Amino acid sequence: MSFLQPFALIALPLMALPILIHLINQQRHRTIPWAAMMFLMSAKRMSRGMARLRHLLILLMRVLAVGTLIFAVSRPLSGGWLGSVGLSKPDATLILLDRSASMEMQDLQAGESKRSTALKRLTELLEQGDYGTHLMLIDSATGQMQEVDSLKALLNLPVTGASVTSANIPAMLETALAYLKANESGRTEIWICSDLKENDWDIHSGRWNAIREAFAELQGVHHFLLAYTDPPSSNLSVRAENVQRWQRGSTAELVLDVIVRRTDGHGGARQVPIAFEVNNVRSVVEVALDTLGASLQGHRIPIDGKLSSGWGSVSLPGDANPLDNRFFFVFSTPPVRKAVIVSDDAKVGEAFRRALAIPTDIRLQHRVDVIPANRVAEIDWENTALLIWQAALPRGLVAEQVMHFVNTGRVAMFFPPGPGGTGEQLFDSHWGNWHFSGSDQVSKLSWWRGDADLLAHVESGDALPLNELRTYRYRMLESLGTPLARFDDDAPLLNRVVTDRGAVYFCSTLPTAHFSSLERDGVVFYVMLQRALTEGSLALTMASQRDAGLGVLADREQWTSVAPEEDTVSLSSRGLHAGVYQDETHWVAVNRSQAEDTAKTSSVEAVDALFEGLSYRRIDVDVGDTSALASELWRIFLIAMALALILEAVLSLPGRNIRNGRQEEGLEGTSLA
Amino acid sequence: MALQLRRDYLNQQVLERLSTLQLHARLPMIGNVSGKHRSPIRGSSLEFAEYRKYVPGDDTRRLDWRAYARNDRYYIKEFEADTNLRMCLVVDTSGSMDFAHAPSATTDGDPDISKLDYARRIAGTLAYVAALQGDAVGLYCAGKTFHKEIPPKRSATHLSIILDELGAMEASGETGLADVLHETAERVPQRALIVVISDLFIEPETVRNCFEHLCFRKHDVAVFHLMEQSELDFEFDRPIRFVDMEGGEPILADPTVIGTQYRRAMAMYLDSMDEVILDTEVDYHRICIHENYGDVLARFLLGRTPKKHK
Repeated sequence: MSFLQPFALIALPLMALPILIHLINQQRHRTIPWAAMMFLMSAKRMSRGMARLRHLLILLMRVLAVGTLIFAVSRPLSGGWLGSVGLSKPDATLILLDRSASMEMQDLQAGESKRSTALKRLTELLEQGDYGTHLMLIDSATGQMQEVDSLKALLNLPVTGASVTSANIPAMLETALAYLKANESGRTEIWICSDLKENDWDIHSGRWNAIREAFAELQGVHHFLLAYTDPPSSNLSVRAENVQRWQRGSTAELVLDVIVRRTDGHGGARQVPIAFEVNNVRSVVEVALDTLGASLQGHRIPIDGKLSSGWGSVSLPGDANPLDNRFFFVFSTPPVRKAVIVSDDAKVGEAFRRALAIPTDIRLQHRVDVIPANRVAEIDWENTALLIWQAALPRGLVAEQVMHFVNTGRVAMFFPPGPGGTGEQLFDSHWGNWHFSGSDQVSKLSWWRGDADLLAHVESGDALPLNELRTYRYRMLESLGTPLARFDDDAPLLNRVVTDRGAVYFCSTLPTAHFSSLERDGVVFYVMLQRALTEGSLALTMASQRDAGLGVLADREQWTSVAPEEDTVSLSSRGLHAGVYQDETHWVAVNRSQAEDTAKTSSVEAVDALFEGLSYRRIDVDVGDTSALASELWRIFLIAMALALILEAVLSLPGRNIRNGRQEEGLEGTSLA
Repeated sequence: MALQLRRDYLNQQVLERLSTLQLHARLPMIGNVSGKHRSPIRGSSLEFAEYRKYVPGDDTRRLDWRAYARNDRYYIKEFEADTNLRMCLVVDTSGSMDFAHAPSATTDGDPDISKLDYARRIAGTLAYVAALQGDAVGLYCAGKTFHKEIPPKRSATHLSIILDELGAMEASGETGLADVLHETAERVPQRALIVVISDLFIEPETVRNCFEHLCFRKHDVAVFHLMEQSELDFEFDRPIRFVDMEGGEPILADPTVIGTQYRRAMAMYLDSMDEVILDTEVDYHRICIHENYGDVLARFLLGRTPKKHK
C-alpha cells in the first residue's frame, strides 16, 4: 500500500493517545470513603469477564478510530503490488512503451488495445502520485527518448500511437540506462508496458547480462512491468510472400503465397474469406482454416499485361487486432539477374559462369560476364547484382566502387587469388597464406550455419551436403566477419562481413578440382551462388517489401504514399505504419515483420529472471481491463473510522448501565428518598 | 410530661408533632406497671376480653349475673390487662454508619448528614416518644469498637442518659450488629420492642438468623434500614480509590467498568433482604437518609397503631 500524503503517517503514534488518556485517567483517581464495600468486592469479582472485555473493546475502538483517521488523511492507494513503491517521490519517471503491432490486440467488448489500456491506466496511476521532475518516454517504434510535458499529453502524442513495428526492449533499456548515467538521476521509476513477445524481448540475447549489471550499479532505480500476459484472443493474421509478376505474351499474372495464421490455436475448422485488391480490382477467395491457420500457395491473379509494376493488398475480415488484417505488396517486372566474375583464371571463371548462368526459374533472365582483373573498368556497376572477385583485393578507385556497389544493396563474393595478393585489405579483411592438405588428407567442415544465409537448409528442411565437401587447398583469411562455415582447424571456409546494406562474403577456397570438390559435387556451389545472386538482385528490382521501422524509407527522399487511401500519418512516421510508397521508379511496401505474426509470448518466469537482482515488480494486467491500477482508499478508512466510533458509542452507552440496567438489576424504584 | 431537651440532634417541631402519636407494640407485652399496651395476662382494664366458666375459687364478684339469667350457668367476665413497654434501641455504630452523601467524581459537594446522625435522630425521637407514654427505653450500640449497653428503664433520668449516649456515639470499626442482636435476644428477659437502626451491610442470612432469634424470644422487631442514594446509584465517571470505612483494604476501581456489576450485586442483596423480611415478618423500613426523619417516624408510628384501637 502506498500513500499520496505519506507524511501524515508521522502522526501514527497518536494512535496511542486513547491509551495514554486512559492511563492518565487511571492516575487521576479520587479517594473517597465508602461503606458498601461488600458490593464493590462482589462487582470486582464479576467484572473480570465480559465487562473487562467490553472495556478493552472500547479502548480498541478508540485506537482504531484515531488510526483510521490518520490513514484516511494520508490518502492510501489500493493495489498490493504497490507495496514496493517507495514513499518518497521519484526524481524521474521513464515510460518504455511497446508499440509493436501485437500490442494492438484489442478486447472486443471494451474496444481498447493493450497499448491504449496500458497508457490510460499508467496515466491514471501517475496522476494520483508524483512522477517526479522529469517524465520521459521511450517508444519502441522510434527507440528515441523524449520528455513529456504532461500526463494528458501522453495519451495524444504521435509517438504513443499504434505502429506495425517490432519492439526492441533491450535497446530501449539501454537508452534508458544511457539517460540515467548521463543525468545521474536519483530515484527513478521505469515503467515498461509490453505484451512480452519473444521477438520484442529477445530474452536469450547476451545484452541482458550487461543491462542487468549496469542497472545493478545504479541506486534507486525501480522497474515496473505492466505485462499483458493474457492468452491471445481469437485473431487471424495474413501476409503475402514471394510476390512475382510473370509475363505470358500479352497477358501477365501475379503469383504469390498467402499465409493466414490464427493465434487462439484451439478453434475449430472454418472458412474465412481472403480479399485481394490489385490495381483497384477486388477479388475474394474462401480458404479453410485448420487449427494453425491456412496457406494459399502459388495463388495467381491475372493482371493487365501492360502493368509492369504496381501494388496490391490481401486482407481479412476485422478481428481482435486490426493491424494484422491487411498486408500490402508491390510487384514489378523481375530484373535481369546479372553477375560479373573477375578472374584471371579462365578455368575458375568458367566454373563460376556455369553455376550462375543456369536460372532457378526458366522465367528469370540471367546474364554472366567473366572479365580479367585488368578490365574492371568495363563493369556495369548499376545493373550488376552479384560480383565474384577472384583476384587480388582491389585498391583505390576500384575498391571504392566495390564498397559503393555493396552499400547499394548488392552482393560481393571474394575468392582467393593465386599466389601473392597478401598485402591488400578490403572490408577489414585480407588474405593470408595458402594451406595445403597432405596428399592423402582433405580438410572437412566441422561446422556451418544452417538456419540462415547462403548455406541454410533447403525449404524441405534438409541440410546442404556440406559434409561431403572435400577441400584440398584453402587460403587463410584474416577477417572480422562472421563465419558461416569452418574447417576442422577452425579456419573459415566462408565468412560474411557485417555491412549496413548488401552483403560481402569471403570464401577461402576455389571451386576447381585442384582446390576442392565444390564444382565437382555442384549442389553446394550452385545453391550458394544462386542465393547470393538472388539476394543481390533484390536491390535491382523496382518493387521491394520492407519491414516497418524508423529508417525503412530513408534511402530515397521522394516517396509518396499510395496506400492506404486514408493515409494521415506524418512524413517522419511513415515507416512505422503499413502502406505502399512510390517514387518515379520504385515501389515499396511496408508491413509488420514476420516475427510479429509468429512470435510467442515469453514466459513470465523467464522475463522475471531478466531483472533478477534488481528492484523489479511485474503487474499482470488484462487487456481491456480499464479499472485503475490504484485507487484511493480514504473513503474506506473514513467508513472504518465511523464504524469504530459507532461501535465505541454503543459499547459506552450509559443507558445500558444506568437507565435500562436499573430495571434489569431490580433497582427501578429504589430511589429511597 | 414535660422534658427539657438538651440535645441538638432532636428537633422540637418533630417532637411536638409526634407527641400526639403513640408507640404501639404489635405483640402483647409483659410489663411490670400499668401502661398502654396489651398484655397476655387478663387484667382490670375496661377492655372486655372473654367469658370463662366459673371454677371454684374464682372471685364471685366477677360473676356475670346477666349471663347466668340467660343461660342458667356461671360465667366469669374477663378484661384485658394494659401494661407498659420495654423498647430496646439497637444502633449500629460500625464505621460504615459514618457514611454520608458521597461527592460524585465530577461535583464536589459538601457531605450531607451521615447514617449515624440519622440513626441518632430516629433513636432519640423514639426514646422520647416512648418515655413520654411511660415506656421503658434501653440502648445498645452495636459496634466492635464502640460498644454500649444500657438496659431499659422508665425514668426521665434514664432518658437523659440515653440521649447523652446517643449524642456521644461514634461510628468506627467493624459492625457487631449480629452479636449484639443475639445477645439482646437472650438478655432481655421479657417481651420487648427491639428497634434495629443499621445499614445492614452484613450477609442477609446472618440478618435472618438474628431476626428469627429475636422473634423466637417473642420480641417485637422493628428495623430501620438506612441507605444513601449514591450507594444505590453508584454513578461515578472516573476511577476512584474506595477506602473501606470499616478498616478493610482500599479498592481502586473504574465505576464505568464495574458499575453494572455493582448495581446487580446491590439488587441481589435487596431481593434477599426482602425475602428475609417476608419470612420473619419484622417491621421493616428501608430508608434513604435524605428523607425527612419526622415523616419516617410518623409513618412508622401510624403503621403500628392497631385498627380496633381508636
